[in-house]
Amino acid sequence: MSITIALPSKGRLREQALEVFAKAGLPVEEPADQRRYRARIGGRDDIEVAFLSASEIASELGQGNVDCGVTGEDLVRETLADWDAKVEIAAPLGFGHADVVVAVPDIWLDVATMADLDDVAAEFRQRHGRRLRIATKYWRMTQQFFSQMHGIQVYRIVESLGATEGAPAAGSADVIVDITTTGSTLRANHLRILDDGVILKSQACLVAAKRERPAADAALLAEVCRRVREAVA
Amino acid sequence: MTRFPAIAPDLVALFAARGADMVDVPVIQPADPFLDMAGEDLRRRIFLTESETGAALCLRPEFTIPVCLDHIASQAGTPRRYAYLGEVFRQRREGGNEFFQAGIEDLGETDAAMADARSVADAHALLSLSLPGRALNVTLGDQSVFEAVLAALGLPRGWRMRLARAFGSAEQLEAALADLANPPKASVLPARVAELVADGDREALAAQIAEGMAETGLSPTLGRTPDEIARRLIEKAELRSVRLSAEAFSALKAFLAIRAPLDTAADVLEGFAASAGVSLGTALERFSARAQAVAGHGLPAGAITYDAAFGRPLDYYTGLVFEIAAAGAPRTLVGGGRYDRLLTLLGAKSPIPGVGFSVWLDRVEALRGGA
Repeated sequence: MSITIALPSKGRLREQALEVFAKAGLPVEEPADQRRYRARIGGRDDIEVAFLSASEIASELGQGNVDCGVTGEDLVRETLADWDAKVEIAAPLGFGHADVVVAVPDIWLDVATMADLDDVAAEFRQRHGRRLRIATKYWRMTQQFFSQMHGIQVYRIVESLGATEGAPAAGSADVIVDITTTGSTLRANHLRILDDGVILKSQACLVAAKRERPAADAALLAEVCRRVREAVA
Repeated sequence: MTRFPAIAPDLVALFAARGADMVDVPVIQPADPFLDMAGEDLRRRIFLTESETGAALCLRPEFTIPVCLDHIASQAGTPRRYAYLGEVFRQRREGGNEFFQAGIEDLGETDAAMADARSVADAHALLSLSLPGRALNVTLGDQSVFEAVLAALGLPRGWRMRLARAFGSAEQLEAALADLANPPKASVLPARVAELVADGDREALAAQIAEGMAETGLSPTLGRTPDEIARRLIEKAELRSVRLSAEAFSALKAFLAIRAPLDTAADVLEGFAASAGVSLGTALERFSARAQAVAGHGLPAGAITYDAAFGRPLDYYTGLVFEIAAAGAPRTLVGGGRYDRLLTLLGAKSPIPGVGFSVWLDRVEALRGGA
């Protein structure tokens, strides 16, 4: 019996995740060679640690290949269809804060809310011969927010693989859905978040996969989740 | 391979007897027209793939758009009625991902009342043949009557557009009406802009916005134009100064609550118009003409209900919309309607009116099996 915890393999997210686990009394014994992607928890031979990219962690959790992991709530919601049937958020960790937002060119002075954007989208085709285009890496969240929450049907998503905030100026999209922490990148690109345009206030979370597991593993997972929760409380 | 519906040969015979030509369209279709017409919400429900050159393709999720595209491409003359029976592919939670649909698309018939009535009658005949002895309930709505009511109540254009878009979704209509009764507060505009908006000086406002675009490196032609933004700013300011009167509000509510058998619906609408003190003009004339044409087909009396609030939230439906269900079975078996804007949106050089319906044969088969 053993469980696997997936932790971010790089950067601030990795450091902060390791800090939280150390504080929870689950110190990760980092491999001597940082290029290795497996590690153990000090004194525990029943817990394995796998270092993966944050988005891989979300999909591995969704498939039940790892038992729990640290990743952004945005990635969980974006990567997994029916995310709450597959995983549960065991603890928000208080770091990795970022908002997923709808932003329009600042000069669109007439557009302050999603209802305004609905008006604009509805008439766009007639005026421009094409649908309003939204650049984003978050097509699932965009589609849920626009179609299901705000009843906006007529728009097109153009998948953006990087520098989404540059799309309106480049003419490849009209508005964007992107992640922002301080809003400074958006401002530098003369974009403005709509008044009701915050789709998700995301942060790094400990996420547990919902799947059948032996009672001993389930107890172990519950213990890890409890310890982490207490460490960040 | 999904089992070919046992009823298929009978349906093909029925189409022939009713004068509609069978048409075949490829299973693999360009994805853009579907996403453009039905919206991005469709993306998670269709099977998308890519050509070697990166073009987005999908397995046909329905027949109307492919049949219309085929009609445009072949430059066939009108009027023309296309019948189809084949598999469609959608990601569904219940039931299989591939299932059969059949239907008729009637393109280019200029006598709308006659064509509308024939579409309802064709769909009804198809179901009667498939489900003998089963009572069928037709629900009929009309987007253009709703739009006529909005216009007759003197609502400003911006509001009419917003409400017309919400038509068919009780929830969205409720939200839109709440906004109109109690408009959200105005956002703060830069002083110079606010001044120009207050003056209603669209030209100067557009010039001001064009300057802002130039400064921020936004193209004034690739997307929204300065004039477009100026016009809407002024329109928004005007809308805020108008309130929906209590009478107009209650008239709208009264209209949306109308449900009547089709044979008396025109009278009910006339009664509504008289009590609200408005005229519904040509929309009501067209409605009456259609109701009479439907009556001419001799469908069982009382089988067709007009529901004033019934609509489809897609911007290419222009008039009639209808659904048919079997008595005692909740799921819709047929969906149909008039889509006079669709062919132009799909690239037809001149407007081609269209009306059609589609039958969920998997649901029909399930009822037949259970009968």
